[in-house]
Amino acid sequence: MKRLLSCAATGIDRISIFIGQSSSVLLFACILASAVEVLLRYGFDSPTLWSTELSMTLCATAWVLAVGSVTQRNRHIAITMIEGLISPAAWRRLRLVQMLASVLAVGTLTVALWKPAMKVLARPEYSGTAMNSLQPSYLKVLLLVGCGLYLLQLAANIIRWVQRTEKEIPGGH
Amino acid sequence: TETLNIQSSFNAGDFTMQYLTEHWLPKVPQVTGGRYAITLKPNGSVVPAKETIDATASGVLDGDFTSVNYFSGLEPAFAIMADLISGYDTPEQMLGFCKTDQGEAMEQKIVDTVAHGDVQVVGCGPYSRESLPARVPINGFADMKGKKIRAPEGLASAVFAAAGASPVSIPFSEVYGALEKGIVDAADASAYINNATTGLHDVASYPLYPGIHSMPLMQFTLSKDRWSKMSAADRAALRDWWYAAMEDLIKVVDEQDRARVASDRAAGKIHIINWAQNDRDRMRGVARGEWLKYADKSPLAREALNAHIAYMKKIGLFKD
Amino acid sequence: MGIEIITLLIVAALLGLMALGIPLGITTLLVSLGTAILYFGERAGFFIVTANVTEVLHKYELISVPFFVFMANVLERSGIARSLFESMAIMGGRFRGSVGVQTCIVAVVLAAMSGIMGGEIVMLGLIALPQMLRLGYDKKLAIGLICAAGALATLIPPSVVLIVYGLAAQVSITELFAASIGPGILLASLYIAYILIRVRLNPALAPVYDIPETGLPFLKRLPFLKGVILPGILIGAVLGVIYSGIATVTEAAAIGAVGAVAVAAIRRELSWIMLRDAMRQTVQTVGSIIWLVLGAVALIGIYNRIGGGDFLRGVLTSLDVAPIVVIIVMMLIVMVLGTFLEWIAILFITVPIFAPVVVALGFDPVWFGVLFAMNIQIYYLSPPFGPACFFLKSVAPKEISLQDIFASVLPFIALQGVGMMLVLFFPQIATTIPALLK
Ligand code: NA
Ligand code: NA
Repeated sequence: MKRLLSCAATGIDRISIFIGQSSSVLLFACILASAVEVLLRYGFDSPTLWSTELSMTLCATAWVLAVGSVTQRNRHIAITMIEGLISPAAWRRLRLVQMLASVLAVGTLTVALWKPAMKVLARPEYSGTAMNSLQPSYLKVLLLVGCGLYLLQLAANIIRWVQRTEKEIPGGH
Repeated sequence: TETLNIQSSFNAGDFTMQYLTEHWLPKVPQVTGGRYAITLKPNGSVVPAKETIDATASGVLDGDFTSVNYFSGLEPAFAIMADLISGYDTPEQMLGFCKTDQGEAMEQKIVDTVAHGDVQVVGCGPYSRESLPARVPINGFADMKGKKIRAPEGLASAVFAAAGASPVSIPFSEVYGALEKGIVDAADASAYINNATTGLHDVASYPLYPGIHSMPLMQFTLSKDRWSKMSAADRAALRDWWYAAMEDLIKVVDEQDRARVASDRAAGKIHIINWAQNDRDRMRGVARGEWLKYADKSPLAREALNAHIAYMKKIGLFKD
Repeated sequence: MGIEIITLLIVAALLGLMALGIPLGITTLLVSLGTAILYFGERAGFFIVTANVTEVLHKYELISVPFFVFMANVLERSGIARSLFESMAIMGGRFRGSVGVQTCIVAVVLAAMSGIMGGEIVMLGLIALPQMLRLGYDKKLAIGLICAAGALATLIPPSVVLIVYGLAAQVSITELFAASIGPGILLASLYIAYILIRVRLNPALAPVYDIPETGLPFLKRLPFLKGVILPGILIGAVLGVIYSGIATVTEAAAIGAVGAVAVAAIRRELSWIMLRDAMRQTVQTVGSIIWLVLGAVALIGIYNRIGGGDFLRGVLTSLDVAPIVVIIVMMLIVMVLGTFLEWIAILFITVPIFAPVVVALGFDPVWFGVLFAMNIQIYYLSPPFGPACFFLKSVAPKEISLQDIFASVLPFIALQGVGMMLVLFFPQIATTIPALLK
């Protein structure tokens, strides 16, 4: 059981890192799409209808899907001044409290996001612009997926906490 | 007194928001015998503007006072209701469609597809006709050919394209720079007075007024929960109150537009263009073809358009 | 339960959860979900939170944040800051305090290229700090200057703080950028004046800098200007497209990012590894920011719905004092929050409430935005949560402790306060340039 869990944690870590690194490529694509739009609009006098919605969608995807890798490295912004004031053992217990609080918050958000996401899957919501893309529906589902990744990585972090295999945590900032 | 939390699509500093807050919100307790009051919350302050119907249905808001354009992505029929591009000549005509014709019932039917009967439409109607700021003279329908016009919404860009112009989709924040640099020749913006105040006429000195395209529809809704607990007298009082407020708003915005137009004309720097009725009718004829195409998107959109056209025939905007 | 009590409970919950070291985004999410469910029940409560968090992803201007972060990451990995610094050193000539003054000017130029503060402090910390310490500059003077001047990245345009303020207060980002140029230069001038006065009074603080090239006649020193050319072009490209109205702020940020890559390529510093690392670093940085925004936006939505916004606006507008005092009170609130909260959280929680009051009192929300960004300068430095100090600590020599850094920045915080008061009472410092551009 212990080995199985530890394998699961390692697997989740790998998934998070892989998705995070892939996200960075999307971000770059998004930068290029925006720069190309300026070129098309001013260089060739032919603005596109898709640039804004495409860049936003790419960027939002990278932004939301990076959550696994951010969680894996404990890079969420927190105020950890208390670490210097209490014993290492107490801090270790507090680490668990922090992770459980995250599970509670993200878990509740996931439940809350479920209905809207299912609603747009059943009856798609369009952007209503000239482009009229499925962006609003997509973003609702995307956020749900992001929450799922967040929860998954939190589970891996908790396994590591239980097995005392947490890596060096770069405190707070 | 029961306070109804209504989110509007006006921003906190907008003239319309301030005017309603000063002149019309205090009348709500008066007309309902002190049983109801309304607080109007600015655009996006509780939920994003396009979520107000769902928010009302789920009880987060007691109702909304929102530009129907925000719901265009939820159901194509909203776009037909929201702004029948180049359709009506005056806001009073379109308000009549809601108040005395099928408009209100139609809007209720469309809202029901999203809110499943949890939201009551109390009233609907526009309060202004937008003018079209342009940097080059567009003296009539024939001049539309080849002009680059900013129009982000689907129906508007289709109508402009059909009139021979090429629609450009840029965010509203870019309109000033785009007009200044000649990236667009004209831009869908706001009422004359607003365009003048935000300085658009400094870079687009050939505004089309009265406008030729847009007349955005507002809706006033309450949650069924609140509505069902209201007496028939209070319901009627609220509906009358809202239409009276809209009619007053139409008058006030129009007065401001006219005053500004008069002073701009006198100053001579801005060349205001007023299309001949003949050109307006041609534009409406072309637009009608695009409305029909757009209405193919859903049966409800078709139904909404039929209601519009029947009413427009009734008041003489179309002969056939 | 009255809104006063609810407000207190919300603040207490936020502080309590934060003190436990729970991430700020999670803290605000927990409090907003809790408030929403307790107040509205599950269906409505869930709806209001999800509607607001989803909308965050629809904010087009927000995607300029990753672009600017990426641009800063590329610049940080290139040698552009170093050659800029060397050019300035040679051009600047020799006088007492010259390296301090040059550092400040280099900081302003870097600030005009970068919208975020972290990268700039790290660059200055790696380049200017060792130089000043080697030359025998006073440690405190050098450290304080680098933290303060590095923080200018978010006041001098482009600035991520101003972008997010523009979103929250619904004012033009272009105007905000134009309005912050004057105050940014004002702060830089205050820092320079402060250094020149200090070294004049006590020459031991800064020996005269003597590298041989500074002794050359002025014309012979001109060729060393070439380190300034590329940054100049990059600044011109980013700010030029914004002010000429050619592109949105987001697109300008994209051009800046592509420009930074081009600059690195011209300098032959571009490699696949460098680009990859810059991208990955960007995703890590912005990946944590989005959760802060989600939580803060959810909280402000629910707080507005239960009447909190109206309540606080009412309190602020009913204060029986001069309108300018209300502005000062707001600034003090931001300053206090700035000692322990992250700036995005401060901004999303205070600005939606403050901005309408500012307008109602008859002030210009653009001017207030500049004051807000100046206040954020103080936030960057002020202990115990002073991110600029943390960034410098990460690159400073080991013997420099965080306490040393905190002590060093105090006079500069006072200077920032002076600058803020000047802009508060002389709004022309901010409003002149936007008026000229109109
Ligand atoms: Na900057
Ligand atoms: Na601080």
